[in-house]
Amino acid sequence: MIRIDAKKGPQFCDGFSRRDFIHAGSLPLLGLTYPGFLAAKAGASTEDNDVNCIMLFLVGGPSHIDTWDPKPNAPEEIRGPFKTIQTKAPGIRITEIFPKLANHMDKVSLVRSVYHTASAVHDTGHQMMQTGRLFSGGIEHPHAGCVVSYLKGQRGEVPSHVLIPKPIGRTGGNLPHGHTAGYLGKQYDPFILDADPSAKDFKVPDLLPPDYITSIRADRRRKLRDSVDANVAAFEKDSKSKQFDDNFNLAYKLMTSPKAREAFALNQETDAMRDRYGRTRFGQSCLLARRLIERGVRFVTVNMFETVFDEITWDIHGSRPFTDITEMSRLVAPNFDQAFSALMDDLSERGLLKNTVVTALGEFGRTPKINPAGGRDHHPGVWTILMGGGPIKGGRVVGESDELGYAPKTRPILPGEVAATIFKVFNLDPHHELPGPQGRPMPLVDFNLNPIRELF
Amino acid sequence: MRNNLFVGHSFVQAFMLLFFFCAPVHAGQVKVFPDAIELQGRGELHSVFVALMQEDAVIGDLSGSASFVSSDEKIFTVDPSGKVKAISDGEAILNVKTKLGDSTARVTVKNTQAAKRISFENEIIPAFTRAGCNSGACHGALAGKGGLKLSLRGYDPAADLFVLTRQANARRVDWAKPESSLLLEKVSLKLPHGGGKKIPVDHPDFNLIRDWISQGALPSTKVEPRIASLEIIPGKLRLKPGDKLRVIARAKYTDGGIRDVSHWARFSSSEEQVATVDQDGFVNVLGNGEASVIALFGNHSGLGAIVSPYSNKLPSDYFAKSLRSNFIDEFILGKLQELQLPTSGQASDQEFIRRLFLDMAGILPTEKELDDFLKDTRANKREHLVDSLIKRPETTDYWAYKWSDMLLISTRNLNQQSVWAFYQFVRKAIADNIPWDKFVHSILTVKGSNLSQGAANYFVLHKDVTDLMETTAVTFMGMSLTCARCHNHPMEKWTQDQYWGMASLFARVGIKNGESLNEIFVETYPVGDVLHPRKGIPMPATPLDAQSMSANSPEDPRDVFSKWLTARENPFFARAIVNRIWRNFMGRGLIEAEDDLRATNPASNPALLDALCEDFIKDGYDTKKLMRKIVLSAAYQRSSVPNSMNESDDRFYSRFLPRRLKAEILLDACSEVTGVPTPFNQILSRAGDAKTAYAGYPNGLRALQLPDASVASRFLDAFGRPERAQACSCERQQDSSVGQALHVFNGNTLNEKLRSRDFVGVKWVGENLANTKIVERVFLRALSRKPNDGELARFLKIMGEADSKDPKARQEAIEDLVWAVLTSKEFVFNH
Repeated sequence: MIRIDAKKGPQFCDGFSRRDFIHAGSLPLLGLTYPGFLAAKAGASTEDNDVNCIMLFLVGGPSHIDTWDPKPNAPEEIRGPFKTIQTKAPGIRITEIFPKLANHMDKVSLVRSVYHTASAVHDTGHQMMQTGRLFSGGIEHPHAGCVVSYLKGQRGEVPSHVLIPKPIGRTGGNLPHGHTAGYLGKQYDPFILDADPSAKDFKVPDLLPPDYITSIRADRRRKLRDSVDANVAAFEKDSKSKQFDDNFNLAYKLMTSPKAREAFALNQETDAMRDRYGRTRFGQSCLLARRLIERGVRFVTVNMFETVFDEITWDIHGSRPFTDITEMSRLVAPNFDQAFSALMDDLSERGLLKNTVVTALGEFGRTPKINPAGGRDHHPGVWTILMGGGPIKGGRVVGESDELGYAPKTRPILPGEVAATIFKVFNLDPHHELPGPQGRPMPLVDFNLNPIRELF
Repeated sequence: MRNNLFVGHSFVQAFMLLFFFCAPVHAGQVKVFPDAIELQGRGELHSVFVALMQEDAVIGDLSGSASFVSSDEKIFTVDPSGKVKAISDGEAILNVKTKLGDSTARVTVKNTQAAKRISFENEIIPAFTRAGCNSGACHGALAGKGGLKLSLRGYDPAADLFVLTRQANARRVDWAKPESSLLLEKVSLKLPHGGGKKIPVDHPDFNLIRDWISQGALPSTKVEPRIASLEIIPGKLRLKPGDKLRVIARAKYTDGGIRDVSHWARFSSSEEQVATVDQDGFVNVLGNGEASVIALFGNHSGLGAIVSPYSNKLPSDYFAKSLRSNFIDEFILGKLQELQLPTSGQASDQEFIRRLFLDMAGILPTEKELDDFLKDTRANKREHLVDSLIKRPETTDYWAYKWSDMLLISTRNLNQQSVWAFYQFVRKAIADNIPWDKFVHSILTVKGSNLSQGAANYFVLHKDVTDLMETTAVTFMGMSLTCARCHNHPMEKWTQDQYWGMASLFARVGIKNGESLNEIFVETYPVGDVLHPRKGIPMPATPLDAQSMSANSPEDPRDVFSKWLTARENPFFARAIVNRIWRNFMGRGLIEAEDDLRATNPASNPALLDALCEDFIKDGYDTKKLMRKIVLSAAYQRSSVPNSMNESDDRFYSRFLPRRLKAEILLDACSEVTGVPTPFNQILSRAGDAKTAYAGYPNGLRALQLPDASVASRFLDAFGRPERAQACSCERQQDSSVGQALHVFNGNTLNEKLRSRDFVGVKWVGENLANTKIVERVFLRALSRKPNDGELARFLKIMGEADSKDPKARQEAIEDLVWAVLTSKEFVFNH
């Protein structure tokens, strides 16, 4: 299947001589014998001592009381319908809807006192939990993964930050969600998968050229494209056209790198492995995240849902178009429970957990008092996030909410401190200054915020 | 000795004082803002701003280094920072001395004898708001906090008064010992308080709340003055990076009184890259350009403009000599002069024709159209070009598509028949050049079948009254009222009552099934209410800031709304459409985003926007006349090549802003250049997750001629076509992405066109056209210009490497040539 159909050897503009393209149909077959897999593995996360991160974004905002911060002694209208269960970590109890997670609590810690003070819409929480800051004055801050891309660069040919499956869409507030590189520039934006890994015919859209485009032709196309330059002056200072070119270069790198393509080839995973994560969009996204980390991606963001409207999500207002508590416990929680547990097991079995931090977080908690529709509304006053892997110790609880789950009782923690923790994991000084808009120095997180030391 | 002259209160002296203040201020002079202060009640405070002036502009703050003396300390005192304090009734002078000169302000003190009744709404709620007590994160949350629930930022004073003084057995206030009131002990952290220390014991607001309680914790009276407006002084500052100063927020009340409310207002900056502002009004200038300092207080907002000119040294007659073709240029050059931003040169004829065709009609000029235009020797040939293009059906297609985006015409929410009816209504209105006010009126007041009256589908799309009202506000006023559904708008003056008053105007829209499956009748019911969710009663139907309809009025509320909306005096209607059309051509709205018009989001050139609106109304809401004026301005016809001095300008129109072609235009342009149309033969399911075959669109139909946005196309999705799901300009994605690049590299859209039997290259190979000619024709078709020598040489060299005897090799080389041009920045961007 490898074709060199040229008289001259294939030469690429960037000076690298590469094997011919591997064509779409042959990829899985080839992957099995491809010696690059081991090389990829060696060249990836185990080569440097850098830690990686998988951020599972629980879009909608899980109810802390119904999940990981139960209040069994609170009045009925607060404690909700679920019983609590003992976990593998002594003294930590969570609700009964996460039986598998309970078995992994020794690997994961809970931070039960995260809160924010901005308006209680999804979008603000998305901004703060992904970037550490609320957007104001027209400045868009970079996602933590984009900061990592910017400061650490790409490992080999795989993108350094991948977003699966799609950016968070409409959630009502009409504000940016913070998945981009913001002021760092579009070249540090995540690579967006834009496909559903659980789909039968899943593949990264347009990753491979059609079979009639040989490497000779692709190279000729690139050379010709670079030759259109009479009007270059109109564009060289223009950020939008620079972004356009950067994306072209990145696309070219991706499509010409067997290693990069192989990283996305989810069909190389066994059926048993795919079943283990659950055949849901989120389950397969988690599996793909593991696969990408294994092959050198530094940061993977997995959005559990794309929107909170007309989807069964964590956004349990109780009435349509949202979800109610029962649907959440029947559909959302088991989906998360299975995928998260499989991910922790799988990473641990492959020796990747020691240098991969996994965090599962939402944009806020939910009102302690159950509303008349039988649901709970937005409550940024306090909520719980999960963190484990890498240097993060498992089996701990940091902070606590008050008896009714309204506000932090001890150790209140702001989203910026969660971001600072992620930066510390990457060995980055959380107060390292980035070049902000117009060269204004911008620390990774504000100077008064520090990593959550109790997790280390 | 001027200082002594004004002591006392004689008429003559007051007259002389007036005379003095009318004298013009000269460069380098010192001026006090405000120059007249009126203090009501003993102890009232007011800060001043000591300005260094240059002509009429404030260019510096001398307040920090000035010394302040009261001419009569029995009337008022002044502290070293310049804050004056009322002592007793009378008038006296504040003398200000600085190294650069001296100035004065007149201080009038009134009502110090009368016991002052503290106002719950004008003083106590603002104090709580400033401390954050009633914010969304604290007691203003829907569920309150810690058992205390206040209305968000005090929008419901009656409820707040009840909660503070009556609820929980009235334990929150201590009438006998006001300073021991629970609420004061909490805010000062004498007792544990989850929110921490919000108002310390020695704080003026602590004393204010204590005194209010000792007066009986009374509500505001009906006759009490209400806040009428808010201003920032100085209102306009010309500064440079590094400058630091403090601005003052002043509220005007309905009785004419004015107070310094800087200590209660919330400040923010519209452009933090130019200037930041902190909670006390301290401004820090960081960059060049313009920023607005925004103060919010009691549902009103005030703006102060900060201009930080670029440090370019331009000849003094630079702007006088600049090219101008109509009133638009006067305003733009005025702004550029203020900022010292030089313009780029003018665009060439080739650049102009391509730019105009893409922006006005979404098409590329053909080789012949280009040639004709270049050969035209008339002095006003650009005007002729505009006039012929504006009448063409492609222009109608383009604007029909654009307004269909805005009106959300899509099989996502409507059936095929309805989509066609709605689309044809829009398209016909554009073809007939129906004035914008008539067009909108005909939508908002439509009655009858949605199949015969296409506009009726507007009401089919928005059946819910809140959705209908909010969408109408965004679509036709560029304004989001959504926040006010549940509470007063935090960034605007709109109240929840006003929201529901507006909603009442739409409460009587009736929808019933028609005679066929897809038919729906829209009518107006004789009665119908929508209840204010908090008050549980319907609000009288009232357009924003206008008269309510009387309850027994025979008029259709939709007529009332539409008349109000399309009236000349309506401050939102013309602005919204003018800004949208401006943005279409100029690449950036005078207000960004184009549908985010609000008092706290100022225009980059407010005078120009006003002038455009006035002109548009004078022209009878004729959108095509407006388009014509915009594209004939020198500003539209500037080159997109920046110079070293204006390259950072992205909003004052010193150069043409390059922008990526919209998804549909880019796809059509690829079809045009390759000669291969795009098949549109599948439509998406309502959820967007499945496709079904559809044979209703003829081969050769351009993407911009589609009536529906739910037509399957990976290309259009990758390049950010809007879904038409909600009224928001944010739906259209204009950013580039790796996915787009991968699609043009590897996807089937472009590759299939190049491999098609209809591909123009097939014909050229058949005609045995020389490579030189082929390269030239590709450039002319795609880029509206010939290749330059360097480009031609490089292209010929690369193409020459293919075997010229082998037609297949030659054909492939041409495919690659066209691919390269169609993916180049010059093609993908309008510039």
